[in-house]
Amino acid sequence: MIRNIIGKEILENLLSLRFMLSLVLIISLFATGGFMFVGKHRQESNDYWEDTNRNLSSLREHTNHLYELVTCRQVVWRRPKPLSICAEGFENTLPDRFSFDPFTKDLPEVRSRSNFLLPHFSDIDWVFTISLIVSFVALLLTYDSICGEKQTGTLRLVLAGSIPRHKVLLGKYLGAMLTIGIPLLSGLMISLIVVVFYRAVEIDTGQWFKILTIVLLSFLYLSIFILSGIFISSLSHKPASSMVVLLLVWVGLVILIPSFGRIIAGTFHKIPARLDMENRVAEAIEQIKKDGGKFGKGALSWNSQEDNPPAAAKYYNAQVDARNAIMDEYLRQMLDQAYTGRYFTCISPAIIYQRASETIAGVGVSRVANLCQQIKRYQESLKEYIRSRDAGDPDSLHLLFQFPSDWVAQNWHAISHERVDFHSVPKFQERDLALAQSLKLAIWDIGLLALFNLAFFAVSFVSFLRYDVR
Amino acid sequence: MIFKIARTELLLNLMTFKFAVGTIICVVLMAVFMPVLVSDYQQRLKDYNQNVAANDAILRNVKVYKNITPTVYRRPSVLSIFSEGLEKRLGNSAKIEYESVPQINMTVTADNPFLSIFPSLDVSLIFKIVLSLLVLLFAYDAISGEREQGTLKLIMSSELPRYHFLLGKIVAGLVTLTVPVTMAFIVGLLILEFSPMVDLTGSDWARIGLIYVGSLVFISAMYNVGLLFSALAKESAVSLMLALLFWVVSVIVIPNASMRLATQIQPLQSREKIESEIASSINNLKRSERPKMWQQLARFTRGSASMHEGAFGRYYIRLLYRSEVEYRMKYYPLKDSFSIKCADKTWEIEHGYLNDLLKQKELAEKVSRISPISLYGNVMSAISGSDLAGFQYFIDGAKTYRNHVFEYIRTKTGNLSLPSYFTACTEEEMREYEERSNQVKNARNEAEKMKAQEAFDKWWSDTIAGQPALGLQDLPGFSYRSSVLSGLRRAAMDLGLLMFINVLFLALSFIAFVRYDVRSD
Repeated sequence: MIRNIIGKEILENLLSLRFMLSLVLIISLFATGGFMFVGKHRQESNDYWEDTNRNLSSLREHTNHLYELVTCRQVVWRRPKPLSICAEGFENTLPDRFSFDPFTKDLPEVRSRSNFLLPHFSDIDWVFTISLIVSFVALLLTYDSICGEKQTGTLRLVLAGSIPRHKVLLGKYLGAMLTIGIPLLSGLMISLIVVVFYRAVEIDTGQWFKILTIVLLSFLYLSIFILSGIFISSLSHKPASSMVVLLLVWVGLVILIPSFGRIIAGTFHKIPARLDMENRVAEAIEQIKKDGGKFGKGALSWNSQEDNPPAAAKYYNAQVDARNAIMDEYLRQMLDQAYTGRYFTCISPAIIYQRASETIAGVGVSRVANLCQQIKRYQESLKEYIRSRDAGDPDSLHLLFQFPSDWVAQNWHAISHERVDFHSVPKFQERDLALAQSLKLAIWDIGLLALFNLAFFAVSFVSFLRYDVR
Repeated sequence: MIFKIARTELLLNLMTFKFAVGTIICVVLMAVFMPVLVSDYQQRLKDYNQNVAANDAILRNVKVYKNITPTVYRRPSVLSIFSEGLEKRLGNSAKIEYESVPQINMTVTADNPFLSIFPSLDVSLIFKIVLSLLVLLFAYDAISGEREQGTLKLIMSSELPRYHFLLGKIVAGLVTLTVPVTMAFIVGLLILEFSPMVDLTGSDWARIGLIYVGSLVFISAMYNVGLLFSALAKESAVSLMLALLFWVVSVIVIPNASMRLATQIQPLQSREKIESEIASSINNLKRSERPKMWQQLARFTRGSASMHEGAFGRYYIRLLYRSEVEYRMKYYPLKDSFSIKCADKTWEIEHGYLNDLLKQKELAEKVSRISPISLYGNVMSAISGSDLAGFQYFIDGAKTYRNHVFEYIRTKTGNLSLPSYFTACTEEEMREYEERSNQVKNARNEAEKMKAQEAFDKWWSDTIAGQPALGLQDLPGFSYRSSVLSGLRRAAMDLGLLMFINVLFLALSFIAFVRYDVRSD
């Protein structure tokens, strides 16, 4: 019997004007998004490879002597990801340039083609279309699912039969889910076809699984709106009033609440200005300079009689450590501020869905944070490499520290002057998280979405059981 | 007759569920938004006041004219509460110095770039999103709803001309919708007026008045659009769907897609390239100018000079030899004119880049004008002065002020030819400095040297301690103009387009309604 209800729901929806209009809108959005992604991805990939090759050739120039690697400053850029077709994560305004040497790294900067005069906007990616447009369509499909049937009098007829109410409810829910699935899946298909047809990206198996996960997440998200549609519809007796309530709820959840993010982040998580942080770094370095004596005699001198390389190594390493501690702390604070805004706006399922998809696709703020971590690990491995190569040279002093000047680098022999094989030097490569890892990170968000579903299902079940069908 | 219809309609509207909910929501949202935005504004104002006070304090301590390099700040505008625009994205300060020309820039370097994932929040969001939705909910069944109920047939059976009916509907609808707008404004303004630190000037009130009028024009435009949908469809459910899809497209799709499209059609150069271009052209300048400069300076005999930390992180000379004065008097004008050259070169490149940014923004705005909501957003930010032009006024003001400051320094230092430009050392002190150092240097034995050195040290610390500040009472103050009228002028085009939408959709709905089949089935 439940199958009959589902079938009837789908057929009725398919023939309605709202379905046709939504189908056209959704599919055209997905197609537009696909085409825009292809163009954008091509340009970004070109930029990325150009910049990466420049960085590699500068690294190659620094392989004449091992000590040059110590002074080599590398610049890496965020790699454009194929999965940003699913979720772009506002990356066009996030920092994308990471500059570092084996000891220190600068704060990441925004140095790409982004335009700071444009107001905040989102790419037409899947998450945008689904979280804003398809969720709206989900409401349009369900706002009259119960009160509308009551108005036409068919609800009475249906319930006059022997079908229990929960089956009717389930039938309506599944019918709406399947109906919304049609434009959604066809839109996704078209977007993927555009991308594959233009050979814009190579999508490997792991990424296909991630795409599948995002599709499932999308259904989980849309189901919240379908259930809330049914719920509100079973509370009211006129479709017009259920529409008004639903629209306001939708506007509140999807548009207004997310807008509070920045102000909340600024109010509840204040961070010091960048200038203060820079002053603190300068103070710390000054302090270490004052205590220079404790590192040994001549720690601060070079190119004089008092040169004492081991003490200088200790001294400069202390400086680097102090600087890194403050900088890392500041970066963490900046990230925490952004996360705070996100936490508070998590009342909105749209934000939860957005965050979960970003995590799965490996984009957005947490990706930048992860990239910073990877750079840190890379710095370690680079130092490890230099140490291991240096150990074989009997002429070297085996002192690895940030050289204060070129003169020190060339004359002290703190690190070996031997030639390095460029191929054996570790190179930085951004690693994507595996699906299992990103799922683990997104598990809370997925759980929250499921919780929303359960809550709405329970309340709509109860309210439908108590619904006066007369 | 129009009046009668309008009156009935109005009474009917006022009794509806959507009116009650809509009005309450607008008022409640205003009551939630306003305190949050006001406290944010107060914070920014406090920062501004602190910055200005700190800058003034340093300025009072300036000891030589060379060190006058103050920073000017843009006072956060109260009206950014109504329309945030670019208020938090663009830099609010400009440094007045030889080394750089004030230029529109972003705050991201001082701010947290990760916060760019959040959209902006202002009062206009309530009108742009909630109210526009409410308007469509009122308009969608104005005609098709009456037909469904059968009342349209009844009305049309009388002698009433159709346009009377339509006009009556419009008047009633607009009067009804003015209620939530006005109430939201009143609540918002009450909260604003009674918050500490916020004071509204006459021009602010004029702007708020204009914002109110602009909101009414916007609402009436949306109402006419809704009316057209209502006159096009026979069933109110169909007109509702059309209206809602129109809404979602113009609120969400067009503003986002237009910007994405603009960035794709007119791609920018990457910031990295611009910066390396600047660096290389500055290097070229250095290579070509520096040797000439040193050549001119080579003929001077140098003496010793003591540098001390002055104001704004710059140094000045407290004591120096007579011979050094000649050198410095030649050196500083040369160095400063070189700095100005570098600044102009940088500005040239930056300006070209900024023009590209502007072109992209203009393209995005052009495309987004399809949506009445974007038009309304433009009107709001232009009237509030939080649009780009509002910032341009500040930057232009800072540029003029930079010239005034240079002019002031020139007149005070005899076109940079007086030593007071870089030092406060008097002729006497110069002589004494030289004499005393010579005594130390020319001492015949250790004991005499020790004695001379001791005397020198004492004199030195006494002299250094007493250094009067310049005072700078007559330094011109910074101000810039941004008038209500210029804001209105910038808003004129978008406001005109909104009015055009009004007329166009009114005409279209009139045509559609004249041909409307009033029979209900």
